[in-house]
Amino acid sequence: MASPFDGFGRLYRGQTTVNFIGKRVVGFTVSLVIVLSGAISLLVQGLELGIDFRGGVAWEVPAGSLTDADARGVLQKNGVESANAKIQFLTGAGTQVMRVQVGDQPEDVRLAVQKSFAELAKTELQEVSVASVSSSWGRSITEKAIRALLVFFVIVSIYISWRLEWKMAITAIVAMLHDVLLSVGIYSIFSFEVTPATVVAFLTILGYSLYDTVVVFDRVQENAEKFSTSRQSFANVANVSTNEVLARSLNTTLSSALPVVALLFVGSFALGAKNLEEFAVALLVGMLAGTYSSIFVAVPLLDLLKQNEPKYRPFKDQVATGPKMAALMGVDSPPKRPQDAVTSVADSTEIADSAGDSLAKRATATLTHPPRPRKKRR
Amino acid sequence: MNKRRQVVTLVLLVFVVGASLVANLAAGNTPALGLDLQGGASVTLQPAGEFDATGLDVAVEIIRARVDSIGVAEPEIILQGDTVVVNLPGVNDQQEALNIIGRTGELLLRPVLQSGIYNPDATTTTLPGTTTSSSPSTSLPATGDSVEDGAGMISGGPGASRVVSTATTITATTVPETTVPETSSTEPVVVTTENPLADLGLGDDPNDPTQTVLLFDKSGIAYVVGPAGASGKVFKNDAQPDVQTGQWAVVVGLRSGVDGDQLWNRLAAACFNKTPQCPTGQLAMVLDGTVISAPTVNEPEFTGGTVQISGSFTADEARELAKILEFGAVPVRFEVSQAQTVSATLGSDSLRAAIISGVIGILLVVLLLLAYYRTMALFVIAGMTVSIGFLWSVISLLSRTNGLALSLSGIAGIIVSIGIAVDSYIVFFERIKDEIRSGKTLKNSALRSFESAWRTIVAADTVSFLAAITLWYLTVGSVRGFAFFLGISALTDILITYFFTRNAVLLFARSKRAQGRKVLGIQTVKPEVM
Repeated sequence: MASPFDGFGRLYRGQTTVNFIGKRVVGFTVSLVIVLSGAISLLVQGLELGIDFRGGVAWEVPAGSLTDADARGVLQKNGVESANAKIQFLTGAGTQVMRVQVGDQPEDVRLAVQKSFAELAKTELQEVSVASVSSSWGRSITEKAIRALLVFFVIVSIYISWRLEWKMAITAIVAMLHDVLLSVGIYSIFSFEVTPATVVAFLTILGYSLYDTVVVFDRVQENAEKFSTSRQSFANVANVSTNEVLARSLNTTLSSALPVVALLFVGSFALGAKNLEEFAVALLVGMLAGTYSSIFVAVPLLDLLKQNEPKYRPFKDQVATGPKMAALMGVDSPPKRPQDAVTSVADSTEIADSAGDSLAKRATATLTHPPRPRKKRR
Repeated sequence: MNKRRQVVTLVLLVFVVGASLVANLAAGNTPALGLDLQGGASVTLQPAGEFDATGLDVAVEIIRARVDSIGVAEPEIILQGDTVVVNLPGVNDQQEALNIIGRTGELLLRPVLQSGIYNPDATTTTLPGTTTSSSPSTSLPATGDSVEDGAGMISGGPGASRVVSTATTITATTVPETTVPETSSTEPVVVTTENPLADLGLGDDPNDPTQTVLLFDKSGIAYVVGPAGASGKVFKNDAQPDVQTGQWAVVVGLRSGVDGDQLWNRLAAACFNKTPQCPTGQLAMVLDGTVISAPTVNEPEFTGGTVQISGSFTADEARELAKILEFGAVPVRFEVSQAQTVSATLGSDSLRAAIISGVIGILLVVLLLLAYYRTMALFVIAGMTVSIGFLWSVISLLSRTNGLALSLSGIAGIIVSIGIAVDSYIVFFERIKDEIRSGKTLKNSALRSFESAWRTIVAADTVSFLAAITLWYLTVGSVRGFAFFLGISALTDILITYFFTRNAVLLFARSKRAQGRKVLGIQTVKPEVM
C-alpha cells in the first residue's frame, strides 16, 4: 500500500495514532520561537499604524502615468511637508491607484490638494478619494477595542468554565493569545499597515481560534467521561481526542481557508483591492495558527494542567502509542460508559449479530490488548 | 423524532425561507451597500467638551434634519456610544458633507417681529399680525402655580413666572397677572400688516444670529424674528416636562449671572413691554433655523430662577421641548475625528472583488466537500443554499427597516462565517463516520451523531455569538459591521443545523434506499428490521 494514501485513508477513517502529547516539546518550541520573534519585532520596530490610528490625511488618485515625483510636487505646491509623505501605488485589473498619506492637514488644504490631484490626473474631483482622521480618533477606537476584548475574555472564560471547565477556559485563552500574537507579530515583521480592517481580522482570528479550540476540547471532555472508569492517564485521553478530531480540524481549516485564499488572490492580485489583500493575509495566517494551536498548544497545555489531578496522577507516565493507542481509540470500538451500554443494548436488538461483536471489542479495549483483526461484517 | 414531523419541519423551513426571499425580492429590498462599496462621504464626529446624553440625541436629530433637507438618498446617521457616524452615499464632495453636518446647532432666543402665514406669491408678503390686541386674553389657573412654583406666584409678585406658547385652549382665568395671550398659531387671522417684509431688511442666512430673518415652525407658520437676544445657554440643563393643572408644561431653571438670568430678564422685559425690539411680546426659540416654540412673555422679570412654558402641549410635545431646551443649555460641539470620501469607482471595484472572491471561495469549498464527502456533500450544498437565502432575506429586510448597510468588513464577516457554517456539517459527518465504523446502522449513527455534534456546534457557535455581541456593544465603526454579520451568521448556523441539516440527514438515514449502502465511503450495516 502506498504510504501517503495509506496516511490519508487512516486520516479519513479517523485511525491516526499520532502521539501529540509526547511531542509537545516540539510544538511548544515552534510556537515559542514564532511568538518570541514576533514579540521582539513588535518591541523593536513596532507596528506600521495606518492613518486611522495615527491621524492624518490620505488621498487616492487614479494614477494613470503619475509618478512619485508628481505627487510630491502637488504636496509641495500646496504647502504640505512632503518629506514624510507615504506614497504607494496599488495595481489592479487595468487601473492603478496612487495612495498618498501625510500627517493631519486643515480642511482647506485637504480640498486644495484633492483639486490639484484631480487636475494632475485629469479626472473629476469626485474620483479622488480623501480620508482624514484626527489622531484622537485612533486612540479612542483602540481603547474601545481593548475594552471590548477584556470584557469578551471574561465572558468567554465564564462560558467555557461553565460549559466545559475552568482549566480549559485558561488554555483556550492562552491558545488564542498565541494566535493573535503570532498574527500581530507577522504584521510587525513584514511591516504591513495596520488599518481598521486589520483589527477586524485580528478579532476574527480570535473568534475562530476559540471556536476551534472549543470543538477540540468538547471532544476531550466527552472522552474524559468515556474513559472515566478505565483508569487512563490524561495524556491518553488527550491523544485519543486529538486524533479523533484531526480529520475534522483539517477539513474545517481547509474549508475556512479556501474563501480567504480566494479573497487574497482574486481580491488583491486580480482586482487590486489592496485593503482586501492585507486583510486576507492576516486572516489566513490567523486561521492556520488557530487550527495549529488547538492541537499543538491548547491540548498539550491542558494535559500539563490536568495530568496531576488525583484522578490521572497514578497513570501519569503511561502513554499508549501506536497500536495501543489505536486500541484505546477503539479504532474498533471505544470503551463505553455504562449508560451507553444500555442504549447499545437497544441497538443490538436491531443489529443482532454485531452486538456480540461490539461486546467483545469493549472487552479488548479496556484490557488494552492489541486489537483483534476486524471481523468481516455483512 | 417522528418522520412526519421531520418532513413537515423541513418543508416548512424551505418554504418560509423561499417565501421571504421572494417577498423581499418582490418588494425590491436588496442589501444596502456601505460607503466603502458604493462611494460617498463619511464623517465621524465626536462631541468635544461638555455635553449630556439628551443633548447628544438632539444634536443627532439636528444633523438628521439637515441631511434630509438636502435630499441625500439613504443617508445613515448612527449614534455609537458618544460617537456620531454620518454616511452620505453618493456625496463625493467632502467639503459639502462637512458644511452640512459640521456646524454646531445652537438654540437661539429671538424676539418675534411678526408671525402668521407666509404667502410666497405676493411680492410683498403679507403676514397676519398677531398682536396682543387681536387675540383674546386668557390666563392660567393658580393651582398649578402653588403646586410647582411656590409662594412667588400666589403673592402675585414676579416669582417663578411663566411663558406660554400656542395656548389656544387655555381659558380659565383665576390669576390675573399671568395672562396668556393667544398666539394664533393654530387658526391665524390673516391680517395685512403695515410693514411689508421687504421693509424689514431680511437677511438670507437663517442661522446668522445678527440678522433679521424669516423662519418657519414645523407646522409652517412663518415668523419674522429679530437678532438673537440670547442663546439657550441662559437655561440650566434641567428642563423637565411637567403637568400643570392638567396640562403639560415645561419647567426649566435659569443660570444666574450676566450670561444667565440677567440676560434673560433684559430680553423678557423688552418683550413684556412690547418695545420695538420685540413688538409682539413673543420670544421665539429657534433651533437650527426652525422655530421650536414662540411663547408670549408674561412677566417682566423672572426672579424665581425658573421659567415655565405652558400651552396646549401633548405629553410628547412637552417632552420634545424639554429635550431641546436641555440641548440649548449645553449645545454639543462636535469635532470631526474622521472624514472620508470613497470614489464610486473604488467602491465598485471593492464590491466586485468581494463578490467574485466570495463566489469562488464558496465554489472551492463545495468542490472540496464533494471530493471528500461525495453524495453527503449535497446536504451541505442544500443547507448552504437555504442559509444564504435566509441571510439575504434578513439583511435585505434590515437594510430597508433599520438602515443597515453591508460594508466591506461585513462581507468579511460573512466570508469568515462560511467556514464556521461548513464546520457544523463537518463535525456532524465526522461523527457519523465514527458511529458507522463502530458497526451501527446508518439510522442509529445519524441519530446519535447529531446529539453529540449538536452539543459541539452549540458550544462553538455560542462563543462566536458572544464575540459578536461584545464587539457590537463596545466598539464603533467597521468592527461593528463585522460583528453584526458574524452574529447573524452564527445564529443562522444554529437555526439551519437544527431545522434543516438534522431533519434532512435523519430522513435520508432512515430511508430504505440508504440502507446497507456505502455512505461517506464506508459500507453501512443493513439492519434486518426497519
